[in-house]
Parts: sequence; C-alpha cells; structure tokens
Amino acid sequence: MELREFNNQVHPTPDYPSPYGSQHSLRLRTVPAQETSAAQFDWASPPEDAEDSNEPRNLRELPLHMGLKRAVWQVQQMRTPVVSSSWNIKQSQTFRRFCEVAKYVLSYFVLWKRGIQMIGGHFGGGVQSYFLFLRFLVILNFLSSLLIAAFVLIPSIVFRSMNFNSTIPTVNLTGVEICLQYDPKPDTLMVFITYVLDLISGTGFMEYSYLFYGYYNNSMVESDGFSYNIPLAYLLTASFYFLFCFICMIIRMGGTSRVAVVTGGGATGGYSTLVFTGWDHGLQGDRTTNLKQSNFRNRLQVDLEEERLKKKAASLTLGQTVSLYALRVFLNIVVLILIGATFYGIAKATQFSQLKQKETTGFVALLLQYLPSMVITASNFVVPLLCDKIALLEKYSPSTTVILALLRAVFLRLVSLGVLLYTLWEQITCEGDIYKENCIPCNYYYNEYKCWETRVGQEMYKLTLFDFLITIATLILVEFPRRIVVDHCSCKLTQWVGRQEFLVAPNVLALVYSQTVVWTGAFFCPLLPFINTIKFILFYYCKKITLFQNCQPATRNFRSTTSNFFFLLVLVFGWMLATMVLLYSVTKIHPSYGCGPFRFYPTMWEVVPQATEMLNNTSAEFLFYIGSQKFSIPLFIFSCVLLCYVSALTSVHGKSVALLKSQCKLEQRDKQFLVRQIEELNATVQKEQREPQQPQRGTDTATRWNQHDNYAFTRDEDPRPY
Amino acid sequence: MGGTASKLPKELLSEYQELTFLTKQEILLAHKRFSELQGRENGPYGSRVSMEKILTLPELKSNPFRKRICHVFSTCDLGDGSLSFEDFLDLLSAFSDSATLEIKSHYAFRIFDFDDDGTLDARDLEKLVNCLTGETDDTRLTAEEMRQLLNNILEESDIDKDGTVNLSEFQHVISRSPDFVSSFKIVL
Repeated sequence: MELREFNNQVHPTPDYPSPYGSQHSLRLRTVPAQETSAAQFDWASPPEDAEDSNEPRNLRELPLHMGLKRAVWQVQQMRTPVVSSSWNIKQSQTFRRFCEVAKYVLSYFVLWKRGIQMIGGHFGGGVQSYFLFLRFLVILNFLSSLLIAAFVLIPSIVFRSMNFNSTIPTVNLTGVEICLQYDPKPDTLMVFITYVLDLISGTGFMEYSYLFYGYYNNSMVESDGFSYNIPLAYLLTASFYFLFCFICMIIRMGGTSRVAVVTGGGATGGYSTLVFTGWDHGLQGDRTTNLKQSNFRNRLQVDLEEERLKKKAASLTLGQTVSLYALRVFLNIVVLILIGATFYGIAKATQFSQLKQKETTGFVALLLQYLPSMVITASNFVVPLLCDKIALLEKYSPSTTVILALLRAVFLRLVSLGVLLYTLWEQITCEGDIYKENCIPCNYYYNEYKCWETRVGQEMYKLTLFDFLITIATLILVEFPRRIVVDHCSCKLTQWVGRQEFLVAPNVLALVYSQTVVWTGAFFCPLLPFINTIKFILFYYCKKITLFQNCQPATRNFRSTTSNFFFLLVLVFGWMLATMVLLYSVTKIHPSYGCGPFRFYPTMWEVVPQATEMLNNTSAEFLFYIGSQKFSIPLFIFSCVLLCYVSALTSVHGKSVALLKSQCKLEQRDKQFLVRQIEELNATVQKEQREPQQPQRGTDTATRWNQHDNYAFTRDEDPRPY
Repeated sequence: MGGTASKLPKELLSEYQELTFLTKQEILLAHKRFSELQGRENGPYGSRVSMEKILTLPELKSNPFRKRICHVFSTCDLGDGSLSFEDFLDLLSAFSDSATLEIKSHYAFRIFDFDDDGTLDARDLEKLVNCLTGETDDTRLTAEEMRQLLNNILEESDIDKDGTVNLSEFQHVISRSPDFVSSFKIVL
C-alpha cells in the first residue's frame, strides 16, 4: 500500500503544521483507556482499492482527513514524471477549473435558487419538489412565449403596421357570404364596469386584439425576395411549441426515472432505508426538528402497526375477506358515480352558459360566462374531499391510499376539462354533423360562433384567470384568517383543526391542470403562455408567503423522487389531451370565414400542402419521402427494436445486482468458515503448548476476530497489550 | 468579521479546492464563518474551535447527530470533538452538493457508529433510532416496538447474518435510496 511505503521512506519535513505526524504516532500509540474492550476501528487507513493514483479526481473521494489527503497528494506530485504527463495534468486541471468557474457563473442564472433552498431547509424535500416543479413550468412557459412572440406575434405586428399587400388566394366564395361577417369592434365609449368585465372575460375590446386568434391576418407577404407566410408560421409555431414542451418533459422525466428504476420503486427494504436515509440534515430550527422527529416516530409506529395488522389480516377468515372486497368494489362504484355526476353537471353548465350568454348583459352575463369554470373548480374541491373520506373506509395500506387518491384527482381534473371541451365541440360543430340546420352554409354554427376559435380561446383564458383568482382568494380569505384564528384563539376546536398543512399533491395537480388549460388554449390565444408565465411567477411568491406565514410542516412523509416522476407523467397526459384537441381542430373543423389566418382554407391543415407545392422539386420530394410509408415503417420497426434492447438491458442489470448480492453472502460465509478453521487451529496449538498465559491471549484474538469480520481490518497491526 | 481578520492565502485556497468538493466561494464563506466562531482571537487558521462553539452554528444547532458529526470529523487527539479549520472543511465537503455517494455513505456510517467499532450492532441501531425519534423519554418507541424494528432492520440489511451491519451492507442499503444524496446535505 503506497501510503505505508511513504511511511517507511525518509521524507522532508513539511512546512505546515502537519496533523499527519500526530496521526502517524497515533497508530502506534497504545489505545487510551476506554470503557469498551473492543478495538478501535482504524479509519485512518485508506481503502484497499485506491489504485490509480494518477487521477487527481480520486483525492477528493478518499474518506480521509485533510492532512492525510494532503500527504497522498504530495506523494502523487512527487511521483508524477516532470516531462511527459505534466502538460496533460495541467491541461486537465485548467479544464476542471474552467468548468467550476462556468458552473459558478451559470448558478447566478438559476431562478430563485436561494429561496427554494430555504424552503427545502424549513419544510423538507416534498414541499421543495413542488417549487422545483413550479420553476420548471415557469421556464417552459417563458421559453414558449418567446417562441410564439418571435415567429407569430412580431411578424404580425410588423406586417399590420406596414400595411403590406397580402396575396389572398382566390377561392370560390359563392354561397358563403353570410359567413364572412364578423365585426367585434366595440363602441368607443364604454362604461368603466363594462371595461372591467371585458378585461376579465376576454370580450369586447379584448376580443379583437393580439390576444386571440381572430385578430391575426392571413397575410402571405412577398417582397424583394423575402417571403413570410403567416398562416404557415402560425401552424408550424404551434406544432413546434408542443414538440418543444414534450421534449423538455421527457428530458426531465429521464433523470427522475433513471433513479426510480435503479432503486426499484423503493418499496422494499423499507425500515432500514427509512432509518439510515430518513433524516434530512438540511433542516434548521428546533421547531422543525421536533416536528420531523415526531413525524418519524409516527411513521415508524404506523408502519410497525401496519405490519402487525397485515400479519393479522393474513389470518382473516374467508367471510371477512369477501366482505372487505365487496365493500371496496361498492365504494369504487360510488366514486365512479360521483365523478360521473360531476361530468354531467359540467356538461349541463356549459350548455346553459353557451345558450344564455347572448341574452343577458352586465354582471349576470359575467356570472354565466364563468359558470363552467365555477362548476369545475367546485367539483375539484369537493370530490377529492369525499374521495378521501371514502378511502378511509376502504382500509388500504397508506401508500396505496395516497396513490389512489392522486389517480382519482387526476382523472377528475383532466376529464372534466375534456368534458368542457366536448360540450364546446358539440355546440360549434352541431355534434359533428355539418349537414344539420344550423351548420349548413359555413360548416360550423355560424349564428352563435361567428369566430369559433376566438370563443374557444376565450373559454381557456377565462379558465386560467379564474383559477388564478380562486387561488388568491383562498389565500386571502381562508389561509390567513385560519392562521390568525388558530394563533390567537386557544379553544379546543381551533387546536384540533390546527394550522394549514401544505399538501403537495393537490397543489401539484392544480399546476398540471392550469398547464393543460394553457396548452389547449395556446393555439387559439397565442398570448396565453405569456399570461401563464406571469401567473406562475405570482404563484411562486404567493405560495412562498403563505408557506412561511401560515403553514406547518407536513406530518405525513412524502417520497419525493417517485412522486416527481408521477407528476411529470400526469403532465404528459395533460399534454396528450391538448395535442388531441389541437390535431382535431386543425384537421377536422372548418376554420372561420370571417377571422383568423386560415380564413379561406377548407381546413387549417391545408396550408401545409399548399406551401409544399410552392417549394422546389427536391425539397418537395424529400418531404414526401419522409411522410411516405417507405420511410416511416422502417423507422417504427427500428424504434421498437431499440426499445426492446433498452428494456432487456435494464432487466439484465437487475439480475446482475441480485447475483452480486448472493455472491456477497457466499463470500462472508467463506470468511466465517476460515475463521472457524483458525479457531480450531488455535485450540490445537493451545492444547499442545499448555501454558497459562497464552490461552488468554489466544482467546482474545479469536474473540476479536469473531466480532469484526471487516474486510478492511488491518492485518499487520501489533495486537494491543491488553 | 473584524477589519483585521486573517485572509486565506491563495495557495492554500487552491489546495483546498483540489482536496475537497467545495467551490472557491464555499471555502471563503466557510473561512468567514469559522473566523466568526473563533471570536476575537485572530489565531492562525490551524487553531481549534471547541465543540460547544461549533454547535452554536444554526446549521448544526438542532441536528440530533451534531455531537457525533463533531467527533467523526475531529482530528484532535484528546477526542473532545473540537474542530480545526481543515476539519471544518472536511465536514462541509462531505455534506456538500457535489460530494459523491460513496463519501457520503462512508461518513454516514461513521456518524451512526456510536461506539466506533467499525460495525453497526444492535446498540448502535437503538441509539440511532432514539436520535431520530427524539431524545426525551416520552418520545421514544416502546421496548416492544424497538425490538420489532431492530429485528426488521437487521433482517433487511444484514446480508451475512452476523448480527451487525458493516460498511458494505450499509452502502448497499444506501444505494437503493434515491433521496439520500439530497438529504445528507448541509449548506452554509
């Protein structure tokens, strides 16, 4: 071992106070009087396998004191040949320094780094994961709004202000003149209350603005060799926006899923993992520590109790198991009925709201417009509460209960949004039947929806805004008063209710829901990602304030890594819902005649084939080849093969882990066998010698060897004098 | 920080950057906080700070393992848990953001090894659980629960069935937990 060789060499006296010298003498020194008779484990000896001493990286990874590391470093420096590899080492060193400086500079650009660290310190990893998710969404929305602004918004503003002559394709417009009428320009004089109402609901002066689809023109500008096709840009920007979001999510999921696969779900080895890794050393403050300790105790007691109950449940009689399962089936049906009733309510509310919107004005009209949003929010609040109460009766294990509650809440939220969209679709396209009376000339319900894309955009805008208002209102009207009441009034009821607990799962689901709404509405309301960025930034500050002022740390533990993966998965489901909506409206529904960039096309998708016709031959052929079956089927087969390979690799790794574990066991058994052999040999040696003192010494060594089967036990150490 | 606070020489700074996982800013911040702990005495960086003073740091004050942490990282011959500046840097390096899993699990094992014998036996585990649940009498688990818990832990992690958990078994358990690296962290 090189460090021991260094011991034996004559080395120059170092010119710094060397703890190494004292460490050296400590090894040979007698053990100071201690209560235990067990030998002190010598942690100062470096591990056996620190072989490649030419890697400066390994220095940091040696679990030694600074003085010892310095000594090893000096050995390395002395061993390095001066001529050949010093340039290499210098190069790697400078590269490493450069990386560190770059990392430091980049860390300045990380948004809210200090704030989130503080949150993690006071409230633990679970709450921190919510804020990390929020930050991810803020950055995603910000980058998407930049994308949309660059390719759609700014060219539109430029072309409109410069009044370019747009080349409108000649289309046979006989019979559909009535569909061309669309005049949303408001009166110039407005009462203030109308102004506010219009701002909140996206009608009036807001309707014919850059906010909504209807304002964009179908200009295809060509001048001096510069051509810009706004409809094509609009469509392609929307698809790139979706692709970009998907790629970001997949990349983020890749990181968390790798960890989740390696650890195998984390359910096995529960107790030892909990005890060894459960403590969060970043926690500060006595109150937080006490809470965490009581949380630990509760969790251990609950887990131990569950284990005892499981043992008892395994011994349940047949009749009891049957009744338990029957109860569970019944309760699941109840939950499904509850969710079905919610959907019916949402559908009815949307239909009612759409019908009555034109007939009333003022505040009642505003209420009617927000009716679907209100019903969705109310159901999202009430139904999970009921499901929680029902879950108490179902008697699942705590982890299953949490996952089931999350699944139900997700199902409820996303599908309620889907119901709203379905109802809208029903109305706009006359239930898909373009030959129905209302849809005859224009292929959509012209009388009600002169510009149906703007109307869909308005609905999404209202949902976003309403979500924001409700969150702020809950903050002000529920959480702050609750804290004030609990702190100042010390009756039993308030102590039982207690301070607000920051529940991560419902909050994350709220974020997923708002992001899905934004994705669905982004095509019809291009400024929606930008509005959402601002909304989420305000969320961060509001949630942080409420967290520190009103909340107590959660008493229930939260496994952050697997749940992170689950939240991203749910976000992907939301994305898929939005993609389906986009694909359907782009390919199936006739665009409005009176507004928007796709005015005179039979479907929005038609822009693309028309644009490809204008390309030159080679590009067109290339695009056709990519879209054809000759290319896509081999690509599909190749991706399947890749998928199979990767999953096979994963299972092989899992099997090799199990194999190594059993090898570890076998090796220890070999060692115990050898130890027993040594014992027997010692015993025979004692019998032969028959001296009074030596048996004492022999048994000491034997017992010590029995107690400490450690691989790193130094073999060349003198036995202690006593 | 007084106006005459001793500054860290540049060669030492780069040496510490080589030997620990800390960045330059973290080392300078550690130097500043350590100098504050040393108080008015502007001693050389090599002088030690007693354990009581170290435990006044807010990051360590309420940590149930604070005394064990000081003992593990202390290189003082007297065994009183006092830390020199280099010991303090070792501590921060092991608990830093960029430290590897091996280093963290190695030091976690040493912190949990209350009797310093190189393995975690039932007594070590019992003391560990008591630290986690609270150190007063009414916050401990009952004897029956403790026995059940220790049996479960040894059953899950003691692979060679010798009644103790050694370093490699401990590291095997740690490697299965994805949250360990992020929870074994102390940042000034």
